[in-house]
Amino acid sequence: MLPSPRSCFALLLCVLCACGDGSSSEITVGFVSNGVDPFWTIAGAGAAEGAREFSVKAISRFPNEGIADQQRIVEDLIAMGVKGIAISPIDPVNQRGFLDATAQRCALITQDSDAVGSKRICYVGMDNYSAGRMCGALVREALPQGGEVMIFIGRIEQENARRRRQGAIDEILGRSHDPDRFDPPGQALTAGPFTIIDTRTDGFDKARAKANVEDALARHAELDAVVGLFAYNVPACMEALRGAGKLGVIKVIGFDEAEECLAGIAAGTVVGTVVQNPFEYGRQSVRILAGLARGDRSVLPKDNILSVPARVIRKAEVDDFRKQVRAHLEAGR
Amino acid sequence: MNPERQRILGIFGLLVMVVGITAALNPDFLGAYNLGNILRWTALFGVLSLGAALVIMTGGIDLSLGSMAGLAGALLPWLLRVHGWPAWAAMMLLLAGCALLGLLHGVLVTRLRLAPFVVTLCGLLIYRGAARTITSEQVIGYGVEHEQLRLLATGSVFGIPAPLLLLVGVALLTHLFLARSVAGRWLLATGRNPAAARLCGVPTNSMITLAYVLCAMLAGLGGMLFSLDLNSVTPAQFGQSYELYAIAAAVLGGCSLRGGEGTVLGVLIGTAVIRVLYNATNLLGIPTQLEFAIIGGVILLGVTADELLRRLRQSRSAL
Repeated sequence: MLPSPRSCFALLLCVLCACGDGSSSEITVGFVSNGVDPFWTIAGAGAAEGAREFSVKAISRFPNEGIADQQRIVEDLIAMGVKGIAISPIDPVNQRGFLDATAQRCALITQDSDAVGSKRICYVGMDNYSAGRMCGALVREALPQGGEVMIFIGRIEQENARRRRQGAIDEILGRSHDPDRFDPPGQALTAGPFTIIDTRTDGFDKARAKANVEDALARHAELDAVVGLFAYNVPACMEALRGAGKLGVIKVIGFDEAEECLAGIAAGTVVGTVVQNPFEYGRQSVRILAGLARGDRSVLPKDNILSVPARVIRKAEVDDFRKQVRAHLEAGR
Repeated sequence: MNPERQRILGIFGLLVMVVGITAALNPDFLGAYNLGNILRWTALFGVLSLGAALVIMTGGIDLSLGSMAGLAGALLPWLLRVHGWPAWAAMMLLLAGCALLGLLHGVLVTRLRLAPFVVTLCGLLIYRGAARTITSEQVIGYGVEHEQLRLLATGSVFGIPAPLLLLVGVALLTHLFLARSVAGRWLLATGRNPAAARLCGVPTNSMITLAYVLCAMLAGLGGMLFSLDLNSVTPAQFGQSYELYAIAAAVLGGCSLRGGEGTVLGVLIGTAVIRVLYNATNLLGIPTQLEFAIIGGVILLGVTADELLRRLRQSRSAL
């Protein structure tokens, strides 16, 4: 007798489950990014390192299709019985209900991008506003006489991006410290010798990211500096400038550690970049989740915020930093 | 004047209008640098649009085009840099692989009678997953290597962007195929009325399969050119939604989703309109949030005007 379709399906599910390496006795925690990027590969390596160090199993997941994908991944992790999840929420304000519901089911912490006001237990990461200001300081350093600047970023609706951009704007324009300030894109901002012509977003489309820079070069012949605030924006800026014969003429200031950006710093075509420490985001997140799963609340940082500071990479530091990034990427793979 | 020429003139008029308005508001638009950029982007997207148009002309649709471009675009640097393949061998292999996948689409649509929408939707998912898996989801590029090969996408000949020359070659071949060859006329006849074409002895199944094969190859070629141009491929995102741009350009350029209609020139102008609109939003300082709405609105305007003119022609000829 032929097996019924239902029994075939059940058998398939059993086979798929058997393919996993789940173990019921082990504490399992989840680490969820806000997208796919080498940055997250390094963070995943940090989570794996944390798992080894603190004797838990860490499942790293990198959603590819925005909020819906991220939500699906979190729900699947909960269904798998994870004891805690560290997440970088894509839209913390609008995801608050979802985050609170998740916090009811397992220990929830945020990393990379915080969700202030939600029921998350703590946050691991840097202050994006301060890091943005560090990026702005690089612009001021590159253009001591001032000039016209354009900012490029994937999207500004997520909290970390919004704060990062605002920090850069405020520092360039010499404004006071106010992380809650928000200058909507589409308008030129001028203060003293600096003008920030606009902020252009690309929705994570690299072709669009490059075209945005090319269009800016076509429209603003007097442009002095371009700032790429997402990792891939810097290579996009460099490619567009190379095509226009202006690489090394117009200053490039970056964020994060794309290989092209680091090569540019070494070659002198990129002024510098502000880097986070994604490896520590992963490692520290797993450390805290592992402690919470064992009932140890002493792992929680003061004020429930564990600051992993950003740092500036200029030509002098770039070689050592590249070696470190490569090692982390290899570990992540 | 025949309807096809009227349609091309109509879409060309739309292009002239958008160009005129943008140039009037910002003279930088007509600068050599900006025009070179527009031509290069039009050429890159044009290769994909021609592929989409061929399938649409048979009355089908290929939603896998963006993922196919993403797969080829990710595998080219992967083969070259990770596995050290020679460039010509890698490109040939990828084009042959794409042709094989196109053949599979065609066979599933014509022999198993599966809906093109479903077959290519599954392709969209499968090829994206394949690109992510094969490359271990790593961002991959050419680094500072393969500078000569990259000139295919970034270089220029006498100031003309190299991809534009490639597009002209591909467009000429496609035009000659559609307008001068028996197979090309069979392909259009298949789209216009498959039953009648079959009765007249046209091998409709082969024509539909051929369209999917050509579309897949053009998607692969386009993907490789994009990857050479950008020098950085994120397998999870590269080429995402490009099928929609390609289909929009084909429809705007006069291809009917019912099949049997469309010209190469129309598709190229349709692609140019979309690229110029993207460029215009930046050059005129229109907030990026509005660009999709503007492009969608203009495409809708163009397609609606075309349909109204078609009905007007029909009612006049009926009188």
